[in-house]
This record gives sequence, structure tokens and C-alpha cells, in this order.
Amino acid sequence: MRNATVALTALLAGSVLPLSDGPLAQDRTVKITGFGAKSGVVRVFGVNSEAAMKAAAEEINKAGGVTLGDGTKAKLTVEFLDDRCNAEEGISVVRRIASTDAFVAVGPTCSNVAESLFGILQKKAGDASDSGLQFPIIADVAAKGGLAKISEWSFRNVPSEFEMYKSLMAWVKATRPELKTLYGGVEKDFAHSNATFGVMKAQAEANGLQVAGTSEWLLNDTTFSTQVRDMKRANADIVAISAHPFTTCGVLKEMQRQGVKPKLLIGLTSSSSIETLQGCAAQAEGIIIPTSFAPVTPEAKKAAEQVAKHGGSADLHSAAAYEIMFILKDVIESQKIMAKPDTVQADRNKMREGLAALKETNGLLGKVGRTADREAIKPFLYVHAKDGNWVVLHKPSS
Amino acid sequence: MDFYLGLAQIIGVHTLLGLSAYCVLLTGQVSLAQAGFFAIGAYVAGMLTVLAGWSLVPALLISALVSGAVACAVGFPALRVKGLMLVVATTAFGEAVRLFFFNFTYQIQAGNLKLGPHGGEGFRQIRYFPENGWSTLDVVIFIWIVVALVMAALWWLDRSRAGAVLRAVGEDELAAQSSGINITAVKVSAMTIGGLIAGIGGGIFAHYTTHIEHIQFGVVLATFAIAYPILGGLSNVFGTLLAVIFIQGFLIEGLRFMGDWRNLLFGGLIVLAMNIRPRGLLDAGTTRALKRLFSSGKEPSGA
Repeated sequence: MRNATVALTALLAGSVLPLSDGPLAQDRTVKITGFGAKSGVVRVFGVNSEAAMKAAAEEINKAGGVTLGDGTKAKLTVEFLDDRCNAEEGISVVRRIASTDAFVAVGPTCSNVAESLFGILQKKAGDASDSGLQFPIIADVAAKGGLAKISEWSFRNVPSEFEMYKSLMAWVKATRPELKTLYGGVEKDFAHSNATFGVMKAQAEANGLQVAGTSEWLLNDTTFSTQVRDMKRANADIVAISAHPFTTCGVLKEMQRQGVKPKLLIGLTSSSSIETLQGCAAQAEGIIIPTSFAPVTPEAKKAAEQVAKHGGSADLHSAAAYEIMFILKDVIESQKIMAKPDTVQADRNKMREGLAALKETNGLLGKVGRTADREAIKPFLYVHAKDGNWVVLHKPSS
Repeated sequence: MDFYLGLAQIIGVHTLLGLSAYCVLLTGQVSLAQAGFFAIGAYVAGMLTVLAGWSLVPALLISALVSGAVACAVGFPALRVKGLMLVVATTAFGEAVRLFFFNFTYQIQAGNLKLGPHGGEGFRQIRYFPENGWSTLDVVIFIWIVVALVMAALWWLDRSRAGAVLRAVGEDELAAQSSGINITAVKVSAMTIGGLIAGIGGGIFAHYTTHIEHIQFGVVLATFAIAYPILGGLSNVFGTLLAVIFIQGFLIEGLRFMGDWRNLLFGGLIVLAMNIRPRGLLDAGTTRALKRLFSSGKEPSGA
């Protein structure tokens, strides 16, 4: 019993000590901390983000690192913490990061976590009456619309799904005028899927499609027979599925089992990933998804290779994490961030101001615009699943 | 420092959640409805401060009363069943509450913003603390005053005749009934007190997380609620506090540096703790030993 107590005490002490181990400017390294889900059904997003951040840091370091405000060069290191897609843990993780010398954090994966932790940030920068946390956070994955406007300390480098589905539905109307009806499927308990389905549905109706019905399921569901039966009964021309790869594949397999063959399949942005192809490439054949990443430029191809080397997969989310590291490098240099323990709050203010001042950044598919409410306007294209790969179907901007 | 204060907030609120289940467990009942009462408290308090512009304290009082009233209403039918049937009944209630909020939308226009619960997308901008200039330390002090008051009330209750009645029902329902105790009234009272405490906890939870949605109040939270007092021991209220510190402070936050191994260790260490301390981290024997330790220096000189 005594031994167990001693062991537990030692473990507890060991777990607390690393808190004082912040990035030290003296050894000229700058630690960028990311956070997101590395557990549960969406863990792959966290794994990919971490790999992308590490890949980008390696690229930056190979090119000489980052120039700090005092003119010295520093190498970037990456740490990634798991928030388990849980709002309370997300807040705790950000408070932990903010307790160190960090001047920015990258994350989170889940929109429900972003909702909570952007809420604890100071709403309006410099508002002395608001005691919210003054710490800049830039999101790579959390994709629910309009999150960055919660606080002037929150930023996102995620694509606008509103623009993507607006464009896609208009394209469907123009190129497939014979399609008249749409049936929706939505992962109802996941904030991102649910919110994006609202966008899909509104844009379908705006383009003259009749919404014949909607089936709903939950993120952890594994059987979909009832929902697909309703889908079959509706016999719509288009089926639009707003769900992540895990339930998207479940639904697609059930559609195959019940013989549901719509003339067109549309998917959620997050499902344009390797997980969908690994889970159900045959059933996903032909599904069209708008995405802000595909290895179609030399930069994107190189990034995809680098991310793979670090054990991840490049998709629209992890590509955003990759881009963020280069954005942070540019802001560190343009704002002359010192990265020293005695300049922490000043560095955070500079980082926030630098990110807020951005009008345009370099993305893997081209220039990325920045809006006044701290969101990104990313170039996108449509991909479709073909022979077990994501193949570019159309580039709306071209 | 801010991190530790934030952790103290989490521990405080989860202690309230655990204490709400503690009351019910004293009567020998296992309730998985506590997450439902917690959710009701969260939404009611959030709506009162955000939509009605109330101060936090009256909002928490109302959220406690609403949760308590619902717990009382649920208690009558639910507590007529026992054991596994009660677990199923209270789980069903908790899920019903969660699904109610999943579908519940009530928003008002405030400038260019819409405020209020919005079904599956949740209820954002519950920013009473930062908007009123409360520092993290202020919030911690407030939470722990509430926790201390609740613990003191339960401590007093435990040592009163009412507490003895609760424990009598928990130890041997038949014997308690034979000695004239109204079993249903006792169980419903415990459920109501548990609902009141969960309502307060939920109300505070909504305000420190600033955003709530149905998914936070599922079976996992309900399981945590009963795990705290069971792991901590039912000999007194401090067992629940100790278990919350163990789970939230050590297993969740303390082991975060272990990365992917943390989740594996999480379950393993709980099983280990329950094997080492089968009657709870702070069981009756340990409590007696601690009492002896603290009272040994206070023996009257003439004794």
C-alpha cells in the first residue's frame, strides 16, 4: 500500500513538473503548441494536424528557422496536446498553454470545443471591462461557420463552407439540370455536420432543388438501416450526406446493401480524406465533395509527402495546420516577436495584431484571403472519388 | 497559475455533480439522472443571465429550484423501482433531457446577434464571468464558496436525524421500513436534494464553459457523477471531493503529458484504485484513523 502511495505521488509530481518547462528563448527555439482530438472517433484529425505542424516546422527549420525580434534565428518545435474533443478539456488545455511562455496556440479539432474556448477569450481586444483570456488561438480544423467572430483573439484558417456549397449547388444546377430533388443525411449531434447541413439544404433550395426529406443519425451510430430506408423511399436524384468519414461510410455501405443508387452523391468537406477511401472506397465511388486541399500544385504535393513522412495524411484540415505554421513564421518576423519569458504578453498582443492585420496569406492551393472577422477565404475545388482516389473534378475559380 | 485556477474551477463544479449523486447513493440507489439535472441547471441559469439579464446568484437559485422540482417529480415514479431497473429508468430520463435540449431552440435578437439555445448547435455566449470583469481567481473563490456551503450542509445533514434516516434506508431498506420510515419520501427527498445540487453545479458549469450543448450531458457525464462518490467512498462528503481531485486533477490533467498513454492508464488506474480501496478512497476506517490522528494531541490532560 505504501509503495503504491509513493508511486502515485511520484507520478503526480512528474505530471505537474513539466508545466514549468516552457519554451526558453535563450536556447533559441520557439515552441508552437497545437491541440485537438487525438482520442475517440475523430482522433485522426488530431493525428493529422500534429503531423502537418511537425512537417511544416521541419521545412521552416531546414530553411533556416524563424527570425526573432532581436535578429536572432530560432528553430520551431511542435508540441501537440489531446483535448479529447471535450470542451472542458479544451479550456483546460488552453489555460495550460497560456500558463507557459507560448504566444499562440493552434487548434482545436472540434467546433464544440472552439465554441467554448473562444468564449473564454476576451471578446474585444483591449476592453478593460472584459476579463477574458488574452491569448491568440488560430484554428485549423473546427469548421462550423462563424466561430472566429466570438472573440478578437480567435482566428481561423478553415475554408468557408458556405461559399463552397453555394458554388457546388450552383454548379450542379448548371451542369446537371435534369436533377430536381435532393435527400439529406446528417450526423445530427455533431455541431459541424449539423451546421453544414443547414448550408447544404439552403443552397440546394436556392438553386431550385426540392428537398425530399432528411435522415438523421449520431456520430457514434453504427447501424443506419432505418435512415437509409427513408432515403430509399424518397427516391431523390441527389443524396447529400453531411457527416464525417466514419458514419459516411456506414451510410454508404447501407445504401449499397439496400440498393439505393442516387444519380449524384454529395459529401461533407471533412469526408474528402483518406479515411473515407480506406473505409469505403467502393461505396464512395463518384461522391463529390468541395475541398480546400488536393495535391494539385507543387507546394501541395510536397506538403502531402512531408505530412505522410510524419505519420499523417494531408487533407483540407491538416493542410490548414501546415499553412498556419508558415503564417505564424511570417507574423513572428513581421511583428518582431521576441519569444522571451519577459515579453510573453507583449508577444501575444503582437501576434494577435499581426494575425488581425493579415489581408492575404500563402496557401497550398494559392492565395488565401483574410476577412475582417478573422476568417479565411480559401481557394477550393471539387473532388470526386474515383478508383480509390480523390480526383479533381472541377476548379470553380478557373 | 491561471491553469491551476482553471483546474480548481473544474474540480469544484465536478464536486457539486458528484455530491448530487452522493445524496442519492446514501439511500442505496444508483441514479444516472444527475447529468439530466445538471443539464437543466445549465440551460436555466444560462438563459436567465444571457436572455433575461439576471445576476448569477439568483439565476443559480432558480436553476437549483427547477432542477430540484424536476428531480422530485421524477423521483416518485422512478424510485418505485430498484437496482438495475432504476439505473435503466434514470438513464432513460437523462437521455430524454439531453434530447429535449438537442431539439430545444429559443433565441432572441440582440443587435446583430441571436442569443439563446439553438438545438443541436448549442447555446453560446454565456459570458457572464468575463463580461462582468470576474477574474479566474474570483470565479474560483465563488465556486469554492458554493462547494463549501453545499459540503457543510451535507455534512450537517449526515449528522442529523435526517442523515441517519437516509443511511438507514441505504443500509437495509426492509429494516428501515419496519421501523416506520416512509421509504418513498426518503428516497424522493434524497433525489430532490441531489437535483438541487446538480442544478447549481450545472448553472456554474454553463458560465465557466461559456457554451453548452446537449452532447456534454450524456451518459459519460452521468457515469462520472456516480463514479465520484463510489470511488471516493460514502463515509462522508470529502470522499467525493478526493475522487474528483483524483480523476480530474490527476488522471485527466496530471497525466496529459503522457499523450496517447493517458487514455489507457485512465481506466487502469481507476480499476487499481478501486481494488486497493474497495470501500472508497476515504472509507470509514480511514476517516476514523484521521480523526484519531487529529484528536490525539487534544486529549484532556486529566484523562
